[in-house]
Amino acid sequence: MKPALRHPPLFKKEPPMQDTALTASKAVSLPWSRRLLRMAFPYLLIAPTLILVFIFTLYPAANAVIDSLYSIPRSAREAPVFVGLGNYADLFTPDHFIGATFTLVIGNTLFFAVTSVLFSVPLSLGFALLLNQRMPLLGVWRFGIFYPALLPLIGAASIWAFLFSDTVGLINTVLRSLGGTTVNWLGDPNLVLISVTIVNIWKQAGYYMIFYLAGLQNIPRELYEAAALDGAHGWGMFSSITLPLLRRTSLFVLVVNFIFAFQTVEQLQALGQGNPGDRGTLLLYLIFKTIPERRNWGYVNAMTVILVLLLLTFTIANFFLFERGREDADA
Amino acid sequence: MRTSRLFVLIASLALLTVLSLSAAAQSEPIVIDFYYPSAIGDNVATIMDRYVAQFEEANPGIDINPVYAGSYTQTRDTIQTELNGGGAGPDVAVMLSTDLLSFIEEGHILPVQSYIDAGDDPAAWVGDFFPALLLNSYDADGALWSVPFQRSTPILYYNADMLAEAGYAEAPKNRDELLEIAQALTLPNGERWGLLVPFAGGFPIWMFQSFAIASGRNIVGDTFTDVYLSDPAVVSAAEFSRALGTEYGVGPVGGSVWGDTPTAFIAGQAAMIYHTTGSLTRILNEAPFQVGVGYLPSGPAGADGTGYGAPTGGGNLYIFNPVGQERSQEELDAAWQWVTFLSSPEVQADWGAATGYVAARVSAWDLDPLKSLAAEKPQYGVARDQLAFASREFTSYRAIDTQNIINTTLSAIISGAEPDAAAALASAQEQIDALLAEYK
Repeated sequence: MKPALRHPPLFKKEPPMQDTALTASKAVSLPWSRRLLRMAFPYLLIAPTLILVFIFTLYPAANAVIDSLYSIPRSAREAPVFVGLGNYADLFTPDHFIGATFTLVIGNTLFFAVTSVLFSVPLSLGFALLLNQRMPLLGVWRFGIFYPALLPLIGAASIWAFLFSDTVGLINTVLRSLGGTTVNWLGDPNLVLISVTIVNIWKQAGYYMIFYLAGLQNIPRELYEAAALDGAHGWGMFSSITLPLLRRTSLFVLVVNFIFAFQTVEQLQALGQGNPGDRGTLLLYLIFKTIPERRNWGYVNAMTVILVLLLLTFTIANFFLFERGREDADA
Repeated sequence: MRTSRLFVLIASLALLTVLSLSAAAQSEPIVIDFYYPSAIGDNVATIMDRYVAQFEEANPGIDINPVYAGSYTQTRDTIQTELNGGGAGPDVAVMLSTDLLSFIEEGHILPVQSYIDAGDDPAAWVGDFFPALLLNSYDADGALWSVPFQRSTPILYYNADMLAEAGYAEAPKNRDELLEIAQALTLPNGERWGLLVPFAGGFPIWMFQSFAIASGRNIVGDTFTDVYLSDPAVVSAAEFSRALGTEYGVGPVGGSVWGDTPTAFIAGQAAMIYHTTGSLTRILNEAPFQVGVGYLPSGPAGADGTGYGAPTGGGNLYIFNPVGQERSQEELDAAWQWVTFLSSPEVQADWGAATGYVAARVSAWDLDPLKSLAAEKPQYGVARDQLAFASREFTSYRAIDTQNIINTTLSAIISGAEPDAAAALASAQEQIDALLAEYK
């Protein structure tokens, strides 16, 4: 009986070991339509995604690269003028109206991105460590911390606009009632970017906490138990087990954080609209502010290309750090 | 037998379809797509729906299709996106009066001058609009392109009870009085401000124009390339605007946020504010104290009655006839009829009373409900009377860029980020001159 089981009928029809020439001749003998279908099948499977990516990403991106080399003339009836890299040069000319803003805004965006990462990564890890323990009302705490991530951006920013408001704002009203000095959160040119960053950290920390929580729960208990037997505890356990095993999560959070920082627009509309003096303007918001003037489209496209290149850098970095890291871990 | 019956059935059905189709084609009304900057279900949109119903009843051949597309910016973006993508866009839209030049340059709109000239009495029709409200309607050749609809101007609101308590019976008339009263009514640590001017945010230019005009020099001249930022009067206006917060401390450094300003005033946290006439109805309804309304005080040099001044603002009616999407003559005529209706004295009287926008027609003020409202609440008449001193709202070629430059520069100066006002304005002037060089 046993041998019969080892050789199910399937193998009789098509033995596993076959002459390659035979396979080829068999394939050739298939009708051409079947062969075409077989060849096209993988492409058909990826087609829906590929078509969408082409229409909404690749084609517009290629268009932006081409359009960034043109300048728009006065009348809508005239054709755009080829200017080579002129638009890019203007962006980096501090005397030029667009260059003066662009260089400032690139600085703002880098500050915003780095500061957001510096604070929201440790904060979200802290929340995750705290809320990975058993405590009463755990669900409520977790939900409370995660809640800001669920709010629509513009709604969340409007809440903060009220909190930050100089005259009628909640924070200043509390400060005043405690006898403290009020703070001009959005009106002080040296403070506006920090205020916007605070909102961003508040909004994102809960979201990243979810990734850290998942990462923490993937660390096997036995590792801690074994370490405890060896006499490790507290900081030692954290620095030699928890942190290294959260490396992949941290890298992911870091990269996503950077990408988000470059995509910030909505908050700024509610929080001072980039002013005073463009000290609170970020890159995508500058594009948003510049686009209504038709004659700026060359600059808008050039800024978009730069933005896409920056994001591409992070994405590629993500691929090499995160995806390759995974291979290391699996190995 | 059966085949012929079937044939008759099919033939009669086909005939019916053709007949009904042609009948439909004959009575097909002209549809006017009307883009209006407001949210759906908004109070203002409800009033607009009423005008649409009134107009359609009086003009059975025309259907108005109102599209409530959000804010001015969102509506403009919607229009631009549709037209750039080869869409039809609106037939009529209410857009900022300062959008005129970009719309002309982009070939979107139709001048209404020929319609006015074809009317019964062109001079009387134009003459019934307050002249200040037409200043942003003409092109460089003097042709009229847009018709005033929802217009506004900044005015001074003051808490009359608070002023009376401090011994001031009247609104401040000039800059010295303004400062004196504001300082007298300011309490420490922002508990109460003497004067809030909404300079903060993305659009300080409009409020600033008031101060520049009061100082003796509007930042915009008579042509679309005249910009006066480095003029000494403008520099002193910028320095005064900053000093309100930094030196005199009668308001927050950098000015207040637009939306917070009337709220703070109603809550008694500000004795005086500069704000649009558009806030008048809300403030009168909600403030638990005697609300005074006055002209914006004159500059330092002007005695009472001289040196007053404010820019105009708000939205005009535009008829669209975009390049490549030209409308038929019937559609354009229908659009003009709708524009005439909305700008008629009757609608303007109703609109002004319902919203607080300054009714743009002189004769509207002799009609109810505006007439009785202005008699009952004289505050409504102040903005109208101030129009005698009003000037053009800032616009130029490449208006979005020049406005961005000015807004950024002003907010940098007024917030204190840029200590040297004269240098900052000179550099902004240079950037703008470079932008406008090809138009001169």
